[in-house]
Amino acid sequence: MKTLATALIGSIALAYSFSAAHAEPPEEARMLDFASMEKIIGKKGGAIDILMAKAKDVRQMTVYSNARLVHYDQTFTLVPDILAEVKNEGNKVFTLRLRRGHNWSDGTPFTTEDFRYWWEDVANNEELEPGGIPREMMSDGKPPKVEIIDSHTIRYSWDSVNPLFLTALAGARPMYIYMPAHYMKQWHSKYADADTLAAKIESENVQNWTSLHKRFGRQYRPENPDLPTLQPWMTTTKLPSERIVFKANPHFHRVDPNGTQLPYIQTVNMNIASKDIIAAKAGTGETAMQGRYLRFDNYAFLKQGAETGGFDVYLWPTGKGSEMVLLPNLNAADKGFREAFQDVRVRRALSLGIDRNEINETIFFGLGRPSANSVLPSSPLFTDAHANAWAELDVGKANTLLDEAGFDKKSADGTRLMPDGREFEIIVETEGDSQDTDILQLIADHWKSIGVKLFIKPSQRDILRGRVANGEAVMTTWEGLNRGLATPDMNPEELAPVSPVQGQWPAWGAHYETNGTSGEAITLPDVKRIAELYASWKSAETYQAQAAIWQEMLTLFTDNVYSIGTVSGGLQPIVVSNALRNVPREGIWSFEPTLYFGHYLPDTFWLDE
Amino acid sequence: MTASDKTSADAPLAMAETITAEEQVALERMKAAYADGSIQGESSLPPPDTETLPHFVSEAPFDLRSVEKLTPEQEKIYFASQLTLMWWKFRQHKVAVWSGVFLLILYGSIFISEFLSPWNYQTRHSQHIYMPPQGVHLFHEGEFIGPFVYDVKRKLNLETMQREYTVDETKPLKLSFFCSGDPYNWFGLIPANNHLVCAPKGAPFYLLGTDRLGRDLLSRILQGARISLTIGLIGISVSFLLGIVIGGAAGYYGGWVDMVVQRVIEVLQSIPTIPLWLTLSAIMPASWSPILIYFGITIILGLLDWTGLARAVRSKLLSLREEDYVLAAQLIGANPARIIGRHLIPGFMSHLIASATITIPTMILGETALSFLGLGLREPITSWGVLLNEAQSINVVAVFPWLMLPVVPVIFVIIAFNFLGDGLRDAADPYK
Repeated sequence: MKTLATALIGSIALAYSFSAAHAEPPEEARMLDFASMEKIIGKKGGAIDILMAKAKDVRQMTVYSNARLVHYDQTFTLVPDILAEVKNEGNKVFTLRLRRGHNWSDGTPFTTEDFRYWWEDVANNEELEPGGIPREMMSDGKPPKVEIIDSHTIRYSWDSVNPLFLTALAGARPMYIYMPAHYMKQWHSKYADADTLAAKIESENVQNWTSLHKRFGRQYRPENPDLPTLQPWMTTTKLPSERIVFKANPHFHRVDPNGTQLPYIQTVNMNIASKDIIAAKAGTGETAMQGRYLRFDNYAFLKQGAETGGFDVYLWPTGKGSEMVLLPNLNAADKGFREAFQDVRVRRALSLGIDRNEINETIFFGLGRPSANSVLPSSPLFTDAHANAWAELDVGKANTLLDEAGFDKKSADGTRLMPDGREFEIIVETEGDSQDTDILQLIADHWKSIGVKLFIKPSQRDILRGRVANGEAVMTTWEGLNRGLATPDMNPEELAPVSPVQGQWPAWGAHYETNGTSGEAITLPDVKRIAELYASWKSAETYQAQAAIWQEMLTLFTDNVYSIGTVSGGLQPIVVSNALRNVPREGIWSFEPTLYFGHYLPDTFWLDE
Repeated sequence: MTASDKTSADAPLAMAETITAEEQVALERMKAAYADGSIQGESSLPPPDTETLPHFVSEAPFDLRSVEKLTPEQEKIYFASQLTLMWWKFRQHKVAVWSGVFLLILYGSIFISEFLSPWNYQTRHSQHIYMPPQGVHLFHEGEFIGPFVYDVKRKLNLETMQREYTVDETKPLKLSFFCSGDPYNWFGLIPANNHLVCAPKGAPFYLLGTDRLGRDLLSRILQGARISLTIGLIGISVSFLLGIVIGGAAGYYGGWVDMVVQRVIEVLQSIPTIPLWLTLSAIMPASWSPILIYFGITIILGLLDWTGLARAVRSKLLSLREEDYVLAAQLIGANPARIIGRHLIPGFMSHLIASATITIPTMILGETALSFLGLGLREPITSWGVLLNEAQSINVVAVFPWLMLPVVPVIFVIIAFNFLGDGLRDAADPYK
């Protein structure tokens, strides 16, 4: 028995060292330029802990790792990452070339077969994808022509321009146009033996083979330890589990300037803890790097524990266009409010009536920046005019604007009367946390001076969305532009009516989303112009043309105050263990385009112990 | 009441039970003979070998009822109502009395909480965010100048992102009493701006510190008391009504009514309270105004709390309904509602009051727990539960501990109610 066990352990060790011996970066590895990124060359090894609140958060590993076919480099330009080369001919023809000798994490070569499998057997399989191929793969309603040139080159070509293709591949939640074919075929009815598949459907207790294929083929949310991956770390834990262990991918494609294969850190342990105690745990040093589930008001507490916990706390600005925005519902069911909010003078007056400096001082410790809901200064699209549009406190001007708009009569207690005779009392519905409620309380006080009453109505997200969509909610709170760091080639959809969840124009958004079957057609000329611009962005052929469209959209969006911004540049506390190197002291915390830590390439982080 | 009073009051009662009427007459005569009322020895005759007794004749006219005459003290006891007796008994329980006084003061304060609080509970002081509690001083540089506070200087510490306050001991700011301050609407109706105590304009005066928006915690606790204390009373009325009606019906009718009620109670009691509260408060539409939510929550608390009371009512009724006076009432033709309400309930009202007193804290805790979990009351209404809900983050525990102060009144009110209930229960049966 004992000898058997020893033999077993021996063979496992042998197998391990065998695979380790063969673990190597692709022949044509991507050597990172540490000097330009101000990173220092480290050493391999070690394990770190991070904290997450739910098992679904395993997808954060995919976000953090930032391994994409193409991704944004430090200057937010798209560069090939997993791919060796991308040839883009006028946003119409894209030729992708893979790295020579690049293997999946299980050692199988990564070739165009993996792209073909996805395109032919997944995307175009009506059973697997009843919705058809992804929107980003369609241009002018037509799918691309896919040509496999050789085992390492593949070409996608459209007749008209498709600027969304590459950005979708680089997304925080990327579009996957490849799949590990050699592994996935066992779940596919076309390749797998029918009996074996039937037995698996039985044993996994699912309806049909498509569920199996989906369940075992999730690349964005790495739940399946057997699924080969191209990411720096691969999961080794079967869910459900409170501790999910990620091991370094022995075939990862990036190397440091010395040729050492990345990632440096060999093990990442993701510990699942309740959302409410993550700050407390982080404050005692139970995490090596943490930003998620920490809030600005935790900073003082975290800082107190920094010395004993052996970590440092950085403050990264968030990438949101505004920490909180007010969305006047231009499609409100209530006629009085609908007409009021469709009047640009009212929206401007409400924006002018907010004392953003006080909000900044009270809530953000004076570290934010009073601003309209626009892009951030670090975005190439930033202009002062957009950021300052109607964002200065000017009670006099606000009062004049409201008088002109027909809100010139006042009730006994000084509240303005709407043209239909009711008091101008705006009920703001919010699903937000205490921070949003606090900001609203401040705004309620500010608006008293312009004769407008604000009531706060806390609600839940789902209820709120329903009430927005059917026009019951007259004003809601939301967060500012998610793509606060937008570059011209990023999708400007947040500025245009595209979806019924947009609080300022739900009916117009629904109209766009459903191709006119529900919702209402846009009535305001400026909004029509924004919608046209958005359509033209999708067919713009050059970066300059895209930039010009972005600028015009931003001008219309901010000058018309379709969303009332408050303070931008809120700060996110980032806990970083003292032993962890290469984490920049200054960064930007956003889902897109910086992928939280992803933009700073966690595979280059290392432990100095 | 002294000990001798007690025995002399007890004696006739005890005798009346054991001796016959003839003996009683003899006894009375003897008592009249011995003015001090004491009867010594077995025999009515004086012992033979002692000195002859001095001759004594009472000049007073013979009064047949002289023994039944009571001293004023005795009269007080004999003719005292049950309530008075309870009060005398209750008075002996010193802790209960003080608890009662404490609660009376608190309940009294909710009528004038705006007046008592130095600020309006919603007034923000952006210059004094997260200011720790502050002391009131009397002497400045060895000189008495009456109650005053020192000015504070604020410094933003960009290293820790904290606001640091240093006391400026050169600048005493004298407090004024019965002054005008933040305006408020008394009970939402009468506009006023009178406060018990205020600081000079712009001066910091936060005895219990301020919260994240610079709102005075003392004012918030005082005005939160209004909701937190009344929620118990409203809830208890609901649960009382249900408990007496349902328990009364079960006890009076017995049989299948009793059977059904008992099973319902068992089912209700077997459900864990907190999840049940959560479910019920989730049912309340999110579109309700905070004040409606407040009433909704009191009713929920009341709806779930009647079971214990119903059981007590039922068991008491089961025993009392066998009494002859109930039979008499039935024979006269009184209807069940009258018999229960007029003849049965008063028989154990005292017990009900005591049990209600002990239930109120459960209600207060219930509201606090629900609000603490974010499912009860919400801003802008404030209650102790809401305040504690705001204080539940790790930041508060580590950096701003004074925000946990609302827990102090909660603890004291609960303890006071329990002592009071204890005293009332003892007093409920004054003959014991």
